[in-house]
Amino acid sequence: MDTQTILTDYVKEELLKGRKMEIKPEDDLLSAGILDSLGILQMVAFIEDRFGYQVPDEDVVFENFVSIEALTNYLKANQ
Amino acid sequence: MVRRLLLLNGLAVIGAVLYHASGWGFTAMFWWTDRYAAVTVPDFSQMGSIPYYGLRLVVQLIIFSIPAFLFVSGFFTAFATGRDQLTVSWKVIGTRIKNLAIPYLLWTGAIIVTNVLAGQLYTPARLFQEIVFGKAAPPYYYVPLIIQLYLLSPFLIRFARTHVRALLIIAAILQFSVQTIKYVELLGVNLPSSNLLQIFTASWFFPGHIFWYVFGITVKFNLPSMKKWLDKYKWVFLGLLIVLIPIGMFEWEVILHASEVGWLAHQRTLINELYSLMFLLCFLAFEWFPIPPSKRINALGPKSFGVYLAHSPVLQYASRGMYHLTPWILGVQILFQPILLILGIGVPLLLMKIVEHSPARRFYAYIFG
Repeated sequence: MDTQTILTDYVKEELLKGRKMEIKPEDDLLSAGILDSLGILQMVAFIEDRFGYQVPDEDVVFENFVSIEALTNYLKANQ
Repeated sequence: MVRRLLLLNGLAVIGAVLYHASGWGFTAMFWWTDRYAAVTVPDFSQMGSIPYYGLRLVVQLIIFSIPAFLFVSGFFTAFATGRDQLTVSWKVIGTRIKNLAIPYLLWTGAIIVTNVLAGQLYTPARLFQEIVFGKAAPPYYYVPLIIQLYLLSPFLIRFARTHVRALLIIAAILQFSVQTIKYVELLGVNLPSSNLLQIFTASWFFPGHIFWYVFGITVKFNLPSMKKWLDKYKWVFLGLLIVLIPIGMFEWEVILHASEVGWLAHQRTLINELYSLMFLLCFLAFEWFPIPPSKRINALGPKSFGVYLAHSPVLQYASRGMYHLTPWILGVQILFQPILLILGIGVPLLLMKIVEHSPARRFYAYIFG
């Protein structure tokens, strides 16, 4: 599975919490209320566990986590 | 450091449950004593006993819970601003408030309906107070409080971008002022315009808590320099944290005796706020320090809002149930407290699991956040 699919599955399974929503890679996860304060922390922990990549604190910024597409690009550039 | 905030949230929700469980512990100790001993209530003969100081120690140790929640929320708001944006968008704030308000209103409504069915009378004024000020259950004040802070966020963030130190100092002064007035209230001193002051010091009102939220914003915006600063002074923070535990306990006993009212439900004091600050600083500074069941506590972190909303009615029914069915447990705090802790966390988690695996799954976010 590619990074984008893994991240999309994780968002659907863990962060949508049962809400019926179509998620596109470019969707703003914060404005849609999918990523909240704890959602971001969960996502950071998931990336570390699933991809073995420890996101530096300085990289935990809106621009890298705003959408699945942004996060995929960030991981591709840094892994 | 960021990942550890999940652990902090998990610890904070355990602390919140323990705090309210200890409240029921004091009720059992002083007002329900006649259920397990031949005395007239209220009976304060257990004040000064080992179980009494045990409960007081628990309250002192976990007093960091609400500051920790507010700190994480402030951190998130700064995160949601991004690297270059001047402030956080109203859309993000609106969505966040909606996601907090819907579960809160649902649980508040359920408690009110249950109370009405049990025969309690609700005037429009009481209804208004319980919904708007979070008075339906003791811990619910947190939701109106955090909503106010989110509403202030666009202004706070804008200010933090340019004058972060000034903002932190103003927030600290504001909170310090509220705490100072609280001392006067606790000692029962009547001040002119005391009604106005009561609003100013109310737990649901933001001035008494704003520092924690601003502190979260500040840490996020100044992470590299904060890390250096934390590393430099970490042993000082640890020393102060340890010293503030007995000081906090002693302070409350002094307030209790000076107030001459026999008993006061615990309220946050200036020493508690200093302790909470040292706790947060130590938690961030000693990020390498392992906390043994951290995986389980981490898992609790994302569910903290649901546990926070649901634990209060659970503790109430569990305590009242034991009052009627097994009153002897009320006199054994070493048994009563763990039962309340297990039920206060376990029952909300079980409810979440049931909803998650039922057709009601699509409503999960509206029920538990």
